[in-house]
Amino acid sequence: MSGTSSTLPGERRLSLLVTVLAFSLPIIFVLVPLAIFLVYSFFSVDQGTIVHVPTLGNYIRFFTDPIFLPVFWNTIVLCVSVAAICILLAYPAAYFLTTLKGRWRYALLMLLLVPLLMSYVIKIYAIRSILGLNGFLNKALVALGILDHPSTLFVFNMNAILLTLSLLLIPFAILPIFLSLERIPQTLLRASDDLGASGLQTFLRITLPLSLPGVASAASFVFVLAIGDFLTPQMVGGVSGFTFGRILYSQFGTAYNWPFGAALSVALAIVVIAAILVGERFGRSRGTTV
Amino acid sequence: MGLKKAFLKLATIGLGIGLMTSAALAANLRVLAWDGYADPDWVKDFTAATGIGVDVVFIGSDDEIWAKIKGSEGQDFDVFAVNTAQLQRYIKADLVSPIDITKLPNQKEVLPRFRDLSQVSGDTKDGKVYGIPFCFDSIGLIYDTDKVKPAPTSMSVLWDPAYKGKILAYDNGEHNFSFTALTLGYKDPFNLDAEQMAAVKAKLVDLKRNVLSFYTTADEAQQIYQNNDVALIWANYGQQQVKALQKIGAHVAYINPSEGALAWLDNWVISKGVRDNAAAEKWIDFMLTKKVSGELSERTGFGNTVVESGSAGSNDKLVWLNNVEDPTKRSDLWNEIKATP
Repeated sequence: MSGTSSTLPGERRLSLLVTVLAFSLPIIFVLVPLAIFLVYSFFSVDQGTIVHVPTLGNYIRFFTDPIFLPVFWNTIVLCVSVAAICILLAYPAAYFLTTLKGRWRYALLMLLLVPLLMSYVIKIYAIRSILGLNGFLNKALVALGILDHPSTLFVFNMNAILLTLSLLLIPFAILPIFLSLERIPQTLLRASDDLGASGLQTFLRITLPLSLPGVASAASFVFVLAIGDFLTPQMVGGVSGFTFGRILYSQFGTAYNWPFGAALSVALAIVVIAAILVGERFGRSRGTTV
Repeated sequence: MGLKKAFLKLATIGLGIGLMTSAALAANLRVLAWDGYADPDWVKDFTAATGIGVDVVFIGSDDEIWAKIKGSEGQDFDVFAVNTAQLQRYIKADLVSPIDITKLPNQKEVLPRFRDLSQVSGDTKDGKVYGIPFCFDSIGLIYDTDKVKPAPTSMSVLWDPAYKGKILAYDNGEHNFSFTALTLGYKDPFNLDAEQMAAVKAKLVDLKRNVLSFYTTADEAQQIYQNNDVALIWANYGQQQVKALQKIGAHVAYINPSEGALAWLDNWVISKGVRDNAAAEKWIDFMLTKKVSGELSERTGFGNTVVESGSAGSNDKLVWLNNVEDPTKRSDLWNEIKATP
């Protein structure tokens, strides 16, 4: 504590400390772990122990083994579908919210976001009971006369994963779309109206284009969350809903093949980063030109 | 001067107390076990009967036992519980002492299948006994008594097209390969050659097409059972799973398949660093009394080696779980099976 006589060096030291902390935290907790798993992806496993000799074997296996690429591709298609469904459902909801006045708008938004406060696992359990053969959905469809007898279409297959993920992730789509819609200046809409455009024309030529950045970030959000999920496919996917997340997860349990698991994670990370970049690019180019 | 004297006196007393407690600790038997294997009332009875104090430490996983025993080279505990599949690893690492069965009178009274320990795979090495079995459970088959008639006798019922989409199997490559190998009639389900492996894999792809879903926890299986039309469950959690299902009013029963049921078996073993071998033997013998073993089954739902329990009838064939030839290989194949359309 020799520098107490002058405040300046003390302040400088403090700011230096803050800077070091600001840089070191992400480095220690994000970059270093990422680097470690990247390094691991070049190791191999022999008789249950990890061999620390660099090899490309894991990546070669990923591209040549007949099971990984098809599952990888199917999972990407699944998650793009989830993103599309979420957008289609979230957009009208978000649009409806922006038409509300004052306090109602935010009260309703909060209500739509309440599911995020619940445990993820509990929600999957609940959805699984709803989709099951004796579940609410089947009972309702039979009672309404739409089905003759309960159907197994909704659970333990790809449909189930699609439905469950969409349901779980809709709040993540509503929020960015709502924010981008809300940011559209009312003056633009009024000007359009003054110039004689119909409601539909105003929506198609002004509201929709200006809200696309929100849609893009919503889509990339949902896609990224969906593709990284292994629990939902594990719990509702049954025997036919096998996704990349499940393969990845299986490498870390009894298989104890961390290096291969790391290589699969790298493949997943590349897709995730690409999705985020695409989302951000769309989000920015439209947003800044107005 | 006075102060110094007082200080010296205090130090002497302190040293005395220290010596006394360490002497008391030295006499205490140090037990490492899973929760449910050393309940307080048993410990109290044991101390009352033998005058030996007991310190129990509970563990939560096989890896934890290994870490604790290997970490101290067996010096930190006198007796611990370990399953047959794990025991050979401890013998190899010289962490356990051979047990003189003549010092365990109760071992003579155990159920027939546990009397000749050379017949219990994994308990002996070079003619010496290292583990005394005391607790087990089989991985059998749960069936819905309303839907499956007559009662099944073999796991082969899982491939019966009549139950297509009504079967819950367990999501674990290792066990699934082992039980399917037994169903196919292979002698050693834990060491499959390439040809057997391929046959088991093909058989498991067929199984997958008959199955509704693969579960991981007992709770999960129960929830799926409640919301769907399930007739058969491959019961990884054995008796506990049956009892939980019966509690919610399910009409289910349990069998061990005729081709042999996989089963885990926990043993008491004496560590290399045992301080009082006689005390350790007394503990093991005490655990093998009819009272303690019976209570163990009542409280945990697991089978014991002394009194008959729901885990296995006297004629049921049990195949004690062992380490498999290549866990990584089995897990990879299991993924391939799951990815097969």
